[in-house]
Amino acid sequence: MIAALLPVIVAAPAVAALILLAIPSRYAIATRVVSMAGATVSFAGSVLAAVHYDRHVGGLQMPFDLPLIPSLGVHLSLAIDGWGVSLVLLTGVIIFAAVLASFTVQRRDKEFFIYLLVLVSGVFGVFVCQDLLIFFLFYEIAVLPMYLLIGIWGSSNVVPEAGPFRFVWKIFDVGGREYAAMKLTVMLLLGSAAILVSIFVLYQGAGATTFNLGVLGAVPYARTTQIIVFPLLWMGFGSLGGVFPFHTWSPDGHAAAPTAVSMLHAGVLMKLGAFGVIRIGMMLLPVGAAYWAPTVGAVAVVNILYGAMCAMSQKDLKYIVAYSSVSHMGVVMLGAATLNATGWNGAIFQMFAHGVMTALLFSLVGLVYERAHTRIIAKMGGFGTIMPGVATFFTLAMLSSLGLPGTAGFAAELMVFLGAWHGSHAWWTIPAILGAFVTAIYVLRASRAIFWGPGPSEHFHDLYDARGVEWAAPIVLAVAIVVFGVWPRLLLDLIDPATIEYLRDFASAIVRQP
Amino acid sequence: MTFDTLRPLVLPLAVTAAALVVLLADLALPPNSARRGKVLGGLTVALLSGVLVASFVVDTSGLAAHGAYVGNAWTTFFARLFLVAGALGVLGAMEHLEAHAPRRQGEYYTLLLFSIVGMMIVPGARDLLLLVVAFELMGIPLYILAAYAKTDAAKTRKVSDPARAFDAAEAAKAPHAPAAEAAIKLYLVGATSTAITLFGLSLVVGMAGTTRLAGLFGAETPAPITVVGMMLVLAGLSFKIGVVPFHMWVPDTYEGAPTPFVAFLSVAPKAGGIAALVVVFLLGTGGHPGHWTLAIAVLAAASMTIGNLLALPQTDVRRLLGFSGVAQMGYVLLAIATGNAEGLSTAAFYLAAYVFSNMGAFLVLHAVAADGGTHDLAGLAGLSRRSPFLGLSLLAFLLSLAGIPFMIGFWAKLFIFLAAYRAGLVGLVVLGSVLAVVGLFYYLQVARAAYMVEPTQAAAPRVGGALRAAILLCLLAAAGLGLWPAPLHESASEAGASLSNSLSTGTPAPVSPGDDSQ
Repeated sequence: MIAALLPVIVAAPAVAALILLAIPSRYAIATRVVSMAGATVSFAGSVLAAVHYDRHVGGLQMPFDLPLIPSLGVHLSLAIDGWGVSLVLLTGVIIFAAVLASFTVQRRDKEFFIYLLVLVSGVFGVFVCQDLLIFFLFYEIAVLPMYLLIGIWGSSNVVPEAGPFRFVWKIFDVGGREYAAMKLTVMLLLGSAAILVSIFVLYQGAGATTFNLGVLGAVPYARTTQIIVFPLLWMGFGSLGGVFPFHTWSPDGHAAAPTAVSMLHAGVLMKLGAFGVIRIGMMLLPVGAAYWAPTVGAVAVVNILYGAMCAMSQKDLKYIVAYSSVSHMGVVMLGAATLNATGWNGAIFQMFAHGVMTALLFSLVGLVYERAHTRIIAKMGGFGTIMPGVATFFTLAMLSSLGLPGTAGFAAELMVFLGAWHGSHAWWTIPAILGAFVTAIYVLRASRAIFWGPGPSEHFHDLYDARGVEWAAPIVLAVAIVVFGVWPRLLLDLIDPATIEYLRDFASAIVRQP
Repeated sequence: MTFDTLRPLVLPLAVTAAALVVLLADLALPPNSARRGKVLGGLTVALLSGVLVASFVVDTSGLAAHGAYVGNAWTTFFARLFLVAGALGVLGAMEHLEAHAPRRQGEYYTLLLFSIVGMMIVPGARDLLLLVVAFELMGIPLYILAAYAKTDAAKTRKVSDPARAFDAAEAAKAPHAPAAEAAIKLYLVGATSTAITLFGLSLVVGMAGTTRLAGLFGAETPAPITVVGMMLVLAGLSFKIGVVPFHMWVPDTYEGAPTPFVAFLSVAPKAGGIAALVVVFLLGTGGHPGHWTLAIAVLAAASMTIGNLLALPQTDVRRLLGFSGVAQMGYVLLAIATGNAEGLSTAAFYLAAYVFSNMGAFLVLHAVAADGGTHDLAGLAGLSRRSPFLGLSLLAFLLSLAGIPFMIGFWAKLFIFLAAYRAGLVGLVVLGSVLAVVGLFYYLQVARAAYMVEPTQAAAPRVGGALRAAILLCLLAAAGLGLWPAPLHESASEAGASLSNSLSTGTPAPVSPGDDSQ
């Protein structure tokens, strides 16, 4: 039964989507029940996987293998390690919360759930897949439904004309949801093109018989190959991971996306990018990774600081959260670039912590937007008195965002900063911590402007707090933030053995470098 | 001559017989019978399916006609491809014909079958005369079919005589005769390209002194006249396939000709053209394709680039798919440019994937336009809400054309890129994969119309049973083979491998006239 757990986790949302196809769209309740069932099976499965994963043995567990194209060595091979468990757990929590948060979708709700569930199947697939080509397939599945999700259900923003690319405004409807959707899709797929070419290089260099990640990881690719291909993978996956300067799709995309999609996208999808850089780029090309690590780290520091600065100057609440994601993904990449155990543990933990925290933020922003119909901070104020519950959760998420001890964000950032300090470029730590300081400024300022201060203006007197099922998503996510913040070992015990193992492979690959 | 010497040709012969059966049935059926169209169409589909089944049972490998024709896994693969495309083309056209040309349905099917016979012979032809005859047999019925449903003002007017199709020039002067205009364009371009091809072949044959492929080239560097001849052949075939810079007829014809016919025209004859290209340039050059692959690679790069870029501003979906077809053929040429068996098998896979994706897209477009809609993006507005089935199918076909995972088109592009990468065409792989993203942009514009634009009318388009079945079959194939590509990949690999001894060895292809003469 455990052997089939991973396929079940991956397939459950897709199967639910298929069932939805057969349900006439007028049955709104049935639609939600089926979607919820799909999400719940995956969530329960991911919890089960975390429980059943034998942390004393470590390594890849619960293998599942199905030859797909035997003559090329393409296998649908799934297996999970400590990193995979944490990220699958994250995805499970967020899809559960995201489906709950989407119950209020009114327009074309059936289609919405179908795309959402297909997307999540792709995300689960990426985290448990051990075959490079299938990894790429799942990665694409996870990216593409986004176009429709944002394009159909998104909201449009007004983005003032500015910057050196001002001419773009004449051609495109900058800030519009279809613009955001197309920008996101095209940028991410350009990244995919780079990844695809890299996959060919890796496959061919290993004798063209298998795409298995374990086998490819043991292949000593020539030093020049590694040095050329690693940046391709870094930029390719990094475009989804929000790596500067390929992050520009993310604020537009996240701001335009409907609530559940922002939650998933910022919460999980950006992690796919960072996960790809580490799991594919660094593990398959260790020499290239070691060569480029200073660059990756420096760019990550730019991400942290630049993202935080951008967030500070935004007037739209969703753009603030979106830019804070760019900043926080910089922390993940910084952890990855340290190439030591503390840093990598921190990177994976930060993926989890940021995922949960940003999903909570987007779900709350969605709630506020549904009621106030504005996201402009200047128009809000004093909402805390009429929506105390939302204000509480929002503050909790914001505090985790700035890394307050006791929240998951603190443990993650601490580990990354420690790792960076012990790494070969200790100076990275200084601007990175400065970034965390800037985060505190914009986070507290936004929180104050929205919820505190003088009571809401006449216009907003009919606002109300979260109701009924709307509580579910924030509660699930907030519990995760606090539990893993107070007791990070719960997750670290899973992450650490995998990190040690990967790092050992990494170090030995560097030693025997060709 | 025993049956054995004809056995490799049994599939084309069976289709010839089928064409005659349909022709006779057309004569036998009462002209005003209401069920006429269903009977004839059903008969054609049944016969094509029968031949398709037979292709799995009968062993068609070997030499026929004194080595002028070679049957192997490659020819069988293409035969199946043409049979499937033909059956889908007939299914898609049935209701259209019944509505627009009720008395001329039998001839449509007969002509289509004859065209398929020509296509089926092309991949196995090892003699230039046979190749040219088969190629023309494929092409001439298409000129007639393109003009078939021209506005049809005079319902009594028969176009059964192929020569009458040339009268289309007059019809083009009429105010609204897009089909006639499309047909005359197709005809003029086709005839010109045939002339160019023949001229080129005459130069080549003149230098070689034989029409047999095996004797065309020695191991030495080809003479300048031969090079000129081959370039002319390449230009002529490029017209047929519709690759840059010989592509301008493609969108014009697609826009004008009846859409169910375009669905067929856009896939099967192109596969036939590619097959001819393979015969002349890879098999005909006796294992020295190196001289020509550069030219093919240049055409591939130009087609991918220009086709994808010109598709961007199109608003008529037929034109958009036309330019996208130019780009798609560029990808196939990329596979041909590898010059090895693996590349050829990926080309075969790609063409099969293209049959389902592109025919499917055109048939959906036809289904929408046939019921009072238009062929432009506005006509597709809100399709997913008017008819979820058509909307989902269209999305699937577009994603497949764009090369998105878990649709068959993804594997097709992946295999070609992989083969091209292995053959050292890294630059073209990079170009191709970046342009695939450009391609996605315009395919998504179509998807956007179907999914994001509010519908202008609420009612679902009425779709006939046969058309619906054709779309459903395309959808099942595109999605099913996308999930489980192994069977098609195996059979395409086998097809490519069956050509490998005429490719990899340095000696001329092992086809000699003396082998089977009695």
